[in-house]
Amino acid sequence: MKGRVGFLFVLPAILVLLALIAYPIVYTVYLSAVDAHGNFTGKNYVNVLAPYVTRQAFFNLIYYVGGSIVFQVILGTLTAILLNLEFWGRSAVRSIALIPWVVPGIVAATTWAWMFHTEFGIINYMLAGAHVIPAPIGWLTNPATVMPTLIAINVWKLFPFVAIMVLAGLQAIPADLYEAAKVDGASFWAEVWHVTLPQVRPVLVAVTLLLVIWGLNGITLIYAITQGGPADLSLITPIQIYQLAFVSFQFNGAAALSVLFFIVAAIIVAVYIRVIPSNLGAAR
Amino acid sequence: MSGAGSSMRRRPEAAVLILILSVVLVVVCLFPFAWMALSSIKKLPELFTVPPHWLPNEPTLANYWTVLFNSNIPRYFLNSCIIAGGATGVALILAVFAAYGFARFEFRGKPYLQTFVLVGQLLPTAAIIVPLFITLRTFHLVNTYWGLILVYTIITLPLSVWMLSSYMRSIPAELEEAATIDGASRLGVLFRITLPLALPGVVAVVVYSFVTCWNEFVFALVFAQDQSVKTLPIGLSEFSTEFNTDWGGVMAASMVMTVPVVLLFLAFQRLFVGGLTAGATKG
Repeated sequence: MKGRVGFLFVLPAILVLLALIAYPIVYTVYLSAVDAHGNFTGKNYVNVLAPYVTRQAFFNLIYYVGGSIVFQVILGTLTAILLNLEFWGRSAVRSIALIPWVVPGIVAATTWAWMFHTEFGIINYMLAGAHVIPAPIGWLTNPATVMPTLIAINVWKLFPFVAIMVLAGLQAIPADLYEAAKVDGASFWAEVWHVTLPQVRPVLVAVTLLLVIWGLNGITLIYAITQGGPADLSLITPIQIYQLAFVSFQFNGAAALSVLFFIVAAIIVAVYIRVIPSNLGAAR
Repeated sequence: MSGAGSSMRRRPEAAVLILILSVVLVVVCLFPFAWMALSSIKKLPELFTVPPHWLPNEPTLANYWTVLFNSNIPRYFLNSCIIAGGATGVALILAVFAAYGFARFEFRGKPYLQTFVLVGQLLPTAAIIVPLFITLRTFHLVNTYWGLILVYTIITLPLSVWMLSSYMRSIPAELEEAATIDGASRLGVLFRITLPLALPGVVAVVVYSFVTCWNEFVFALVFAQDQSVKTLPIGLSEFSTEFNTDWGGVMAASMVMTVPVVLLFLAFQRLFVGGLTAGATKG
């Protein structure tokens, strides 16, 4: 069916998205290039790039996103493989495995902050009780542990998402591939390596890039738990933008940082669009 | 029946291994939730005991009493319902038309528009909070329900369009063609034939949108600074500072916020997971 009718159906949604997405992006670029009086200047970028904290926030972000994704994908895939086996109670375990993903981010943040509490937290108690650690650790205040701890919480929150997506991919694998492998006498792990993984690779690529985007956006956990501390050690760029704009009220500086952040994210999205449409199916 | 390692050739050790791994998985997923529930029924002194007690000596509902009657949480609960419901509704109305347009018509620029919608879903939201804030302030929409509903549409609309159009594509077009021959209008076909058939997809979209808005934190932090419109996530973070981190209260408020979404999600789980994963596995 050709013609303009389809376009008319799509138009309202597109207009709303243009107003709420395209316009703000253009406006950000404008804001980043003017001073408080509306005169064009490059100072915002200089002011934002000069301090060491900007670089630190960026590297923290890369560390946070990269570290999270590696474990999210590995644990999520292993979980999916487990949940694809047949065993008693499987459907209940499948439902329970989704819970971390469904729990609101802010709730996950406060609950884990309470569990990681230095003095009264259950985690220090259990680890000390099992003699894994000699003394309570200030997980969220110690410079050496704060980022790994935040990454662990983020992994807990999102590995179920990887698991359900990969599980759906596993279920779509035709059974005769496994039968052929069995005829060839393949072991369980040989099957995983030679049959399963190649078949779910498109899903993994799609999921990984989604995780990158969500990671780049991931303010909630860190903001609610450490607010970027101690001493900016867990500060990431999105939180820096928020603080510049709404704590220091430097809207122009925040806009400049937004533009830089946006460019980095856009490069990743561009890669996504090149690689993914055939995998996501729904894109076309 | 699909999957590696069918049960026929499974050895006893493998069964034990599967059992252990499933138990570990369940414990990892549920432990924080369980600890939240246990902490929410402990009295303050018991929360601050070293070593911590696993089970409360004197279980109490006092924390829930505080949350329900001596805090702003009920108001925030209502705000969350209105805003999440509103944003879900707005996105759904727009998405039904857009999804139908994408699923059933060919028109110039369609691939670009589809890509644009897809990109909307991948947008780094932190990069647009500043201009959105200024824009909303210009229209006096900061600290209003409509302001938050509008910005949440950014999050819900792209995914709603995406999920719903892939669902509509899976419905055979012949039914609609028959109705068109019988003289039904385009809109008549959409509302009398396609939409009823796409109902499971609609439910999936509604659940996903609602839960996403319910959980959203960053936009709420920026655009809802007044008590009259603050949502639960903001209320929760506020609760911890307001009472100098009354952990019992925080945990009770967390329960109040979490239980509805978990129940909602589990009730519609099959439908929802099917809708979300359909796009990723086809094609």
